[in-house]
Amino acid sequence: MRNSGAVLILSFIAKLISQAAGVSAPGKPRLTSCRSPEKETFTCWWEPGDDGGLPTTYGLYYHLENSETIYECPDYRTAGDNSCFFNKNDTSLWVNYNITVVATNALGRDISDPVEVDVAYIVQPNTPENVTAVVVDEDQGPFVRVSWEKPRTADTRSGWITLQYQLRVKQKKDKEWEEYDAGMQKYYNVFSLHPDKEFMVQVRCKPDHGFWSEWTQTTYVKMPDYIPRERSLWIMITIFSVFIVLILTWTLNVKRNSVKLCLLPPVPGPKIKGFDKQLLKSGKSEEVFNSLVIQGFPPTIDYDDLLVEYLEVYDNEEQELVLDSKDLSEDCMKSKSPSDCDSGRGSCDSRTLLLEKCMVGREGSRSDQHQYSQHGETSWASTESSECQGLEPGSPEFSDGRVKTWPVVFSSPQPHHHYQVEAVKPVYHSVPEILNHSSPHAMPANYQNLQHQDIPQQEGRFGKPACRHSQSYTHGLDTPAPGVSPSRSLEYVEVQRINPENMLLLRPLSDQNREPEGSDYAGEDYSKVKEVTSNNILLLQRDTSYLCADGYSQAGQCTTQQPPHPCKPVIYQSHSGMPQEGMRVMGNGYVDTTVLMPSY
Amino acid sequence: MSRSLKQVAVLLVALLCLDPHGRVGSAPICAHGPSGCHVPSLADLFDRVIQHSARMHSLSNDLHSEFEQYFLPSKNHIGKIYRKCHTSNILTPNGKENAQKLAREELTEVILKLLMAWRDPLFQLHQSMADQQDFNSFSSNKALEMGDMAHELRKGVEKVAEKMRVLGMLGNSVTGLSAAEAMLPLSESGEAMSDYELLYCFRRDSNKVQNYLKILKCRIVPEHDC
Repeated sequence: MRNSGAVLILSFIAKLISQAAGVSAPGKPRLTSCRSPEKETFTCWWEPGDDGGLPTTYGLYYHLENSETIYECPDYRTAGDNSCFFNKNDTSLWVNYNITVVATNALGRDISDPVEVDVAYIVQPNTPENVTAVVVDEDQGPFVRVSWEKPRTADTRSGWITLQYQLRVKQKKDKEWEEYDAGMQKYYNVFSLHPDKEFMVQVRCKPDHGFWSEWTQTTYVKMPDYIPRERSLWIMITIFSVFIVLILTWTLNVKRNSVKLCLLPPVPGPKIKGFDKQLLKSGKSEEVFNSLVIQGFPPTIDYDDLLVEYLEVYDNEEQELVLDSKDLSEDCMKSKSPSDCDSGRGSCDSRTLLLEKCMVGREGSRSDQHQYSQHGETSWASTESSECQGLEPGSPEFSDGRVKTWPVVFSSPQPHHHYQVEAVKPVYHSVPEILNHSSPHAMPANYQNLQHQDIPQQEGRFGKPACRHSQSYTHGLDTPAPGVSPSRSLEYVEVQRINPENMLLLRPLSDQNREPEGSDYAGEDYSKVKEVTSNNILLLQRDTSYLCADGYSQAGQCTTQQPPHPCKPVIYQSHSGMPQEGMRVMGNGYVDTTVLMPSY
Repeated sequence: MSRSLKQVAVLLVALLCLDPHGRVGSAPICAHGPSGCHVPSLADLFDRVIQHSARMHSLSNDLHSEFEQYFLPSKNHIGKIYRKCHTSNILTPNGKENAQKLAREELTEVILKLLMAWRDPLFQLHQSMADQQDFNSFSSNKALEMGDMAHELRKGVEKVAEKMRVLGMLGNSVTGLSAAEAMLPLSESGEAMSDYELLYCFRRDSNKVQNYLKILKCRIVPEHDC
């Protein structure tokens, strides 16, 4: 108890004295690192602590895992100061080394912290050797080929160590290095280095599980001065132009229609209505041209119409108006007003007169009408009826007794004639005026009847306009309708004079009571046709009609008749013989001039 | 129309199923003869095997680092107490000379022993890592892949050995591996090793395997990379 206390006091005093003297026990050393360059040997380094002013010795001691045997470092010199080198015999892989360093001096010793080391994981190879950088000149341009060798100590041949390399390049003035991984090969080509510049190259290596080696010494390489062929520029230009061409082509393709229109304007094709090109191609020209034929061209007209229009022979006083029955019929049907004095229509007066006659004739006896119609027909059908009386029964049918045919008005086959016409000069007047003299009441009914007549039908029957001659006549006008005898005949009337009341005083042309002047009139107004030549030329005579009986004994028919009526249907036979076909000769040599019209 | 298509499809599937050749399996491609069939050379086999081992070792290395980072306080290797690995019974060359002194057959046998010794422990490791919540799925997948790699590597090495035997490079002194199969990763104290210890041990053993294979390859087929 006392001894321990005394020892403590003494040690404390010794320490104080030593501290005052400046010496102390060594400080704690520290193991800095352990490295193996080839995985066969390894070296550990330590740093000494404070030596305490006294000479201090260091010792490294180790023991293997799971073993208590402590070994000391076999070699303190090879690796330098404060190091311990383990040679191949002392190195065991895949075994943990527990290493400590002990510092010892006169006053004391200290032990470092232990370090566990597995040699397999502390491999750091030496630097590669013989680094060479060579400029290789090729077509593409010069480049640098860096080659090196493995560190001498590393045994890659047996496969004990596998190394991979790395190199870095930079210019002197550059700050940053350009690093390249070379893998396990021992050369590398560096491209795109600037010409006429000096470059620094360094290489290092590393095992598959370990640390990188140090960089080699710098190897300098100088790039030659060359003009780099700017191939890339040309390539870019080419690509750009190709691109432009492609775009243009595509645009043209898109707009090819408009381009085609611009460059090659289309030839206008045939624009014939109804023209079919396909038919033409097929070779059937007839069909092609047939399709071109427009129906209705040239415009065909009813020649009957022309015929109508054509016939306007208007001689001043001796007006021998040739009327187309059609016109008459039209007027019959259309207009009530008889005062249509349009010259184009011919003698409206006579026409209307005739109409009136039709009506007047109808009043009362239907049978008369019937007869009249018959006669009327026959009277006009000159060629057919050879008899003066013309009593051919070729009368048109009557529907309900009404007069269908217009010529009924003219029929007067019976010899007895009832002249009830006032002796007036033959003149043409509108019907209403004439009728004023006659029975007005009879007019409307018959007029209406007449209007309803199917007069064109009559035309067809005769083939020619039936009543060509405009005749103004009255029969039985001044007598009431029942009083009209069937034997009333048609005759020409002439208007003698006009009394102050605007009434026409008519008298028949063939009236015996005629005044001589009338005969003159007759002679002057009417011209007799002697004959019709083959050329359809009318040979007119100066003889009057009333001389017919005298002058033309040949016309047997003429004589057999009563004093011939001008309207009487008589077949006139000239010297030359039978009148030509199609020519109707009315009584007393009056020719139906319409016959002379060319037949259409 | 669709019905007929369905029927056709069903027929095709049936044919595929019934036809033994149509089945996707591990039938050798060159069953019908060597014509047109590329038989890998020994060098190719070695290359494949070495690649496998490299991959396996990198996985083990990664897992070990992760373990050290997350589960052990930041300490260096100092102070760690490691228990003996279960494969320490297998005599393995611990140096280059020792490894080069070994014959091919022995070297091959060592490799196979190591790989075989780690078949079950790796499976256990994966299981325990998957069970623990601490590990993320990434580590668990790595452990699984590591186990598969070890299995594949073993198969590959067996094929290499077979090939070498066929080529006459190996004698028939390769002993059976049945003795190593029953090894269990038990420490001296009888306790199961922890995951970290397993990882530590496996990292070392995978490094050994890789190294041994490289030596073997450069000894047998030293064309390139040697």
